[in-house]
Amino acid sequence: MSGLDLSFGKVALFICFGLLPIAGFLLGLRAPSIRRQGPIILAFLAGIIPILSIYIPKRFLAHPEMGMSPRLDQYLIIVAGFALPLGIVNVIQNSSRKAIRREQGWPFAVVLLVGLFLMGSFGIYGAWTGEGIGFRADGTSTPFKWMEENCFKPLQSTIFALLAFFMASAAFRAFRARNAEATILLVAGVLVMMGRVPLLEFLATPFPPLMPAAAAGSQWLGKLTEWIMDVPNSAAQAGIIIGAALGAAAMAIRVILGIERSYLGLGKGE
Amino acid sequence: MAGLLDKLLKIDRRWIFFFVALSVTVPILVPLGLPISTTSATQMAFDFVEALEPGDVVLLSFDYGPSSAPENDPMAEGFMRHCLSRDLRVVVCVLYPLGALGLANNVVARIGHEFPNKVYGTDYVNLGYKDGDRAVMRRMGESIADAFPTDVNGRPIADLPIFHGIRSIRQIKVVFTAATGLIGEWWITLVHAQFGTPVIIGPTAVSAPKYYAYISSGQLAGMLGGMKGAAEYEQLIAKKYPDLGNYYKRTRLFTAVKGMDAQTAIHFVIIVFILIGNVAFFASRLRQGRS
Amino acid sequence: MGDLFGTWLAALLTLAAFSFLYKDNPIFRFAESLFAGVSLGYYVGIVFDQTLKPNLFEPLKTNFGLNWDLMLAGVLGALLYVRYVPRIGWVARYGLAVYVAYYIGVEFTQKIQGEVMPQLARTIRPLNQWSLDSVGAFFTSPSLVSLLAIVGTYSVLVYFFFSKEHGRIMRPISRLGIWFLMISFGAAFGFTVMGRVALLIGRLNFLILDWIYPTLGI
Repeated sequence: MSGLDLSFGKVALFICFGLLPIAGFLLGLRAPSIRRQGPIILAFLAGIIPILSIYIPKRFLAHPEMGMSPRLDQYLIIVAGFALPLGIVNVIQNSSRKAIRREQGWPFAVVLLVGLFLMGSFGIYGAWTGEGIGFRADGTSTPFKWMEENCFKPLQSTIFALLAFFMASAAFRAFRARNAEATILLVAGVLVMMGRVPLLEFLATPFPPLMPAAAAGSQWLGKLTEWIMDVPNSAAQAGIIIGAALGAAAMAIRVILGIERSYLGLGKGE
Repeated sequence: MAGLLDKLLKIDRRWIFFFVALSVTVPILVPLGLPISTTSATQMAFDFVEALEPGDVVLLSFDYGPSSAPENDPMAEGFMRHCLSRDLRVVVCVLYPLGALGLANNVVARIGHEFPNKVYGTDYVNLGYKDGDRAVMRRMGESIADAFPTDVNGRPIADLPIFHGIRSIRQIKVVFTAATGLIGEWWITLVHAQFGTPVIIGPTAVSAPKYYAYISSGQLAGMLGGMKGAAEYEQLIAKKYPDLGNYYKRTRLFTAVKGMDAQTAIHFVIIVFILIGNVAFFASRLRQGRS
Repeated sequence: MGDLFGTWLAALLTLAAFSFLYKDNPIFRFAESLFAGVSLGYYVGIVFDQTLKPNLFEPLKTNFGLNWDLMLAGVLGALLYVRYVPRIGWVARYGLAVYVAYYIGVEFTQKIQGEVMPQLARTIRPLNQWSLDSVGAFFTSPSLVSLLAIVGTYSVLVYFFFSKEHGRIMRPISRLGIWFLMISFGAAFGFTVMGRVALLIGRLNFLILDWIYPTLGI
């Protein structure tokens, strides 16, 4: 163990997140109830350390080099890296099964798998060789970058651009002033749409003599829109923010204390 | 008349799609050059950057993907051009996983090309992407090097002159986050709240209404709301910096100002659709009431 | 030549995705499946190159003595994948517990310190700053703005209070809260239109200015 940095933070985290899970695993092989309790204890530790580090600024907890909390932040950067592609295993399993069994739509499952493996391989290749996944030193694109520019970006942009059409269709078919509340919503929406763009100048473009009046009208509409956004909208959003934040904080306490366990696949009382 | 309105209500939605596509395409083919007014939120952001001193270090975070690039790219580019024109030093990072890294690489390469007198590593740097969003922000509160040990190409950041004297985000003068979704909000509620670093946000128009509450509470130093906000910012910097003004006049590339003509046209079309829909709705209600 | 091929590929994939507007068809489904696969592969690439390599593998390789404990983070992350192994899938709960609970803990202080307190503080403003010079000045008086902020914020909070049935006093306040919410949602609709349309403007700009014009030599 000589040469290892045994600062308090690292050792404490090793005990909490290394030895405890090992003990939990070994005991869990014999006693199934430990399989449920062990992760809940770990969740408590993982949740309470970031909170306490703010309220108890002591060295063992919050020191930038030796404290538990900053080092835990660093751990979670790595854990989040593992978590991000987690769904890929599921997708590969489902798509492979679909392709092998020739289920309906199986050619598209093959396309998905080909795209996944090609892009993923380019990424791993770039990381492995040190070439990276962006521009090379000479300004040319790596294979990952090329595929990102010419496959990924256009597809993602266009899939989301389709929303503009559906939104226009929905606005035409469904946006009705059925009652007082719907009317308020409609009027506010139309006023904001008129005030955010130079709509009156656009309409006055074929009629140049009307341009000064249009400009004045646009300015007034713009000020009205700003007022709507700064005052009633802002107030409502503050109410939503406070309400949602209090709800999230309450849920956080429930998770940290182990009352809420559904995220672990456990029901209440399990 | 009633028959016409009923027919309009039952119109095949592909006609609506056609009118939408037409109203966006025509202004692209025939630019109108409509004027753009400046809102107070954008003016706040501009004034904040203008008040910084040459040599100050700012952070530009790419927290959006290709799905909102037409709105956020002009903001990020405008901010970076503004900072480099003011001789501020720009640290670029990426916290949004789906596509932001490529956009950041493109913007940094493009802007770097436009400012040949600026040196990568000294005047600006691209730290690349990191998983963990809030874990990264918390770590940057104590040590940027621990969160980003290398830049996007694997060069250790200890070797980069831009970080001499900069250890954590507390020494950064402002964070500009071009954001879609929650990451932008986390810069405000976590970084600004816990470390005091001022934040300017460039959200997509979809999430912009929420941030007015943060402006009112003093948690934001400015906001560029959607493509309109980006267009306002482009206009402000073009007016203040003649070189940038010439660039924005000459460039064939997409800019937010160019996009506002199409925005205006489509707003008109959608307002007309809504009015027609409601007129038809009330007409049919009246008819039902009479019968 | 590579750029030309890339531009054409991007343009054709864009048109393939747009074909859905006419009707669902195999070309669109091809584009959709390719998008799904490439997106997932993208995650793999960025995670390996941008996070795991510089933050885990390189530190362990260059200075194991200082960074030995990062192995623990690697193990916790790898444990997440154990859920796909049938008999010991329960072990993944350890990794999941750390991952979820950490962010929940961060969120707790973030919500209180970054959202609740500042937004509540915003409603505590003086009510003696009125401008009566003109209608416009009156509507922008700091105190009117503050008063509307107080009334709006608290009436919305009353609306969201679902633990008890709204009585004679709470019902009208809740109604007022709904009106504030409707103004906000209407404004949000206006902004949403801008946001969605901007994406379409970007794509059509690409098709016209970056593909059609250069192809026609304009």
